[in-house]
Amino acid sequence: MNGRLQRSVVVVGGGATGVILAANLARFSDNVRVAVVEKSGEFGRGLAYSTRLADHRLNVRADMMGAFSQDTRGFWSWIKAEKLVTHDYAHSFLPRDLYGRYLSALFDDIRALPGGQVRGIADECIDINTTSSGVEVLLASGVSLPAHAAILAVGHDPNPAPEQAFGQRLSGRKADIDPNGRIVILGSGLSMIDAWLSLEHQGHRGQVIVISRRGLLPQAHVALRNPLHLDSADVPLGTELSYFVRWFGELVEETKRAGGDWRDVIDGLRPFNQRIWREWPLSARRRFLEHTKAWWDIHRHRLAPDVRARAEEAIAEGRLKLVAAKVLEASHNEAGQTTLTVRPRNRTETDTIVADHVIDCTGVAKDITRSSLPLLQKLFAKGLIRPDPLRLGIDVTANCAAVDRTGAASTKLFAIGPVTRGAFFEIDAIPEIREQCAALASQLSGEISISRSA
Amino acid sequence: MLDIVLQPIQASSRTRSVFKAMLTRKGKYGLKALNHLASLEPGELAFVGEIASSNNISKKFLDAILGELRNAGFVQSRKGKDGGYRLARPADEIKVGHVIRILDGPLAPIPCASRTRYQPCDDCDEATCKVRHLMLEVRQAIADVLDNRTLADVRDILEVAPSDDRMAGAL
Repeated sequence: MNGRLQRSVVVVGGGATGVILAANLARFSDNVRVAVVEKSGEFGRGLAYSTRLADHRLNVRADMMGAFSQDTRGFWSWIKAEKLVTHDYAHSFLPRDLYGRYLSALFDDIRALPGGQVRGIADECIDINTTSSGVEVLLASGVSLPAHAAILAVGHDPNPAPEQAFGQRLSGRKADIDPNGRIVILGSGLSMIDAWLSLEHQGHRGQVIVISRRGLLPQAHVALRNPLHLDSADVPLGTELSYFVRWFGELVEETKRAGGDWRDVIDGLRPFNQRIWREWPLSARRRFLEHTKAWWDIHRHRLAPDVRARAEEAIAEGRLKLVAAKVLEASHNEAGQTTLTVRPRNRTETDTIVADHVIDCTGVAKDITRSSLPLLQKLFAKGLIRPDPLRLGIDVTANCAAVDRTGAASTKLFAIGPVTRGAFFEIDAIPEIREQCAALASQLSGEISISRSA
Repeated sequence: MLDIVLQPIQASSRTRSVFKAMLTRKGKYGLKALNHLASLEPGELAFVGEIASSNNISKKFLDAILGELRNAGFVQSRKGKDGGYRLARPADEIKVGHVIRILDGPLAPIPCASRTRYQPCDDCDEATCKVRHLMLEVRQAIADVLDNRTLADVRDILEVAPSDDRMAGAL
């Protein structure tokens, strides 16, 4: 094409990750053709940004949400240019709907680039085969897309784990729930807050009971952000978990003595989280998931301060109730209610909770081999991909290359975004996702100059 | 059990508040001991006395060092007649920089170039001190070297170099 060596890639999944990757490819190369395949046909929305509810907010400040590492204020600049907010406060936590609109607009922009470098395909990817020259991506409509490489950007699983199938996920749309019914929400993290806000928005009057192993509510952001300035040389790496936790605790104490806040330590560590995770022995990673993650999550994934205040108010008024317990069993009665047998934390005897409706918000750490996505099931079965040792996601190298059943890194199949959490761990939020996308985009376009010189 | 595990870490956190030179004797002996363990056959354990005498380290000092390395998860110990120490993980999974951070604290060429164990100099202003800025760069270079060398690399330093020379000669 025009004498230019062209490389083509297919991005599977057009949520936030897929669109940010496509945008990075379009912005930093003119020799890579990109097709983004998205089942819903809504590009840039995905699971996180498809909500239209204004109460569903970003938990990163507006001026840190840009799609490009080189321009982290990009989202905020767009918001100002489009006059979508009247205030001038770049540190605010804006509705996620606005971010979805930003990514959709960004995708429209790159789709309009001359030469049709970027295409959006509203279809479902059902299978991928590797060929001698690259990959063949099969779509539900029967179309097959040949390309040099495919990138799995499938995001979070939209469905609950099979063992929690008695709970339903709430989408952004109005749920068919009796406004006086008693609701149980499983999980107490940020998605629980989303679900609770959805219920509030549709005027729910019944009690909402939140059940999680520890019953911890996410912490709030504070107005001033003052991350500790750390270098990798300061951070203990490769140790067992207990050593790290001790170091972390001492650093928090020291920071507080110096007039700081625990958030300064969490925020200061953030640039190193992927490396800390990667360099821990497997035993430390496993222990972290079992014992520390719940505690870490409520401190790391924080709420906009006003949202947290609303949740506290609802708890004080008894509309929202937090229960620290483990769900042992669920059964349905003839009235269509669900009876949950739970064991409260630190107790041996069980309790029973009857709910009119159960909502699953247990989060993202579930066994990837039990994914509800048929595509992943197919690729696992063929051995083109394999789970990471903890089964959190797809096993990839530090360069996002998918590792196959035999342990070999692919040159044709990649994975990016939350589905790589087993290898990257800190890869749920835009600041990390855009870094990962930028690195993969430069890798995918850089390989062309290598083949060109060869 | 918990008390025994916690004690050496508390001791180390006291000493960490005093700045030590880049690679103290403790760090050096710790690396020597780990190198000793990296040379064992799989499944083999080494007695503290044996490591101490073959590396010229006092046994009491080495006991303390190995205790800290065990708390951080780099070595395992077994008590009794067949007891001793061994690496907790394969030698090619343990980075030298990781070990030095445990024994000597944050990697830093001079005290004011550490962020967490920072100690100001009483004779200069840190914001404008150009030497400090240079040393922060040095510090990153130190980390880049030490975090990219594993115990297996260190173990093989002398073995690999001559064979490389022979290869070069043959070519």
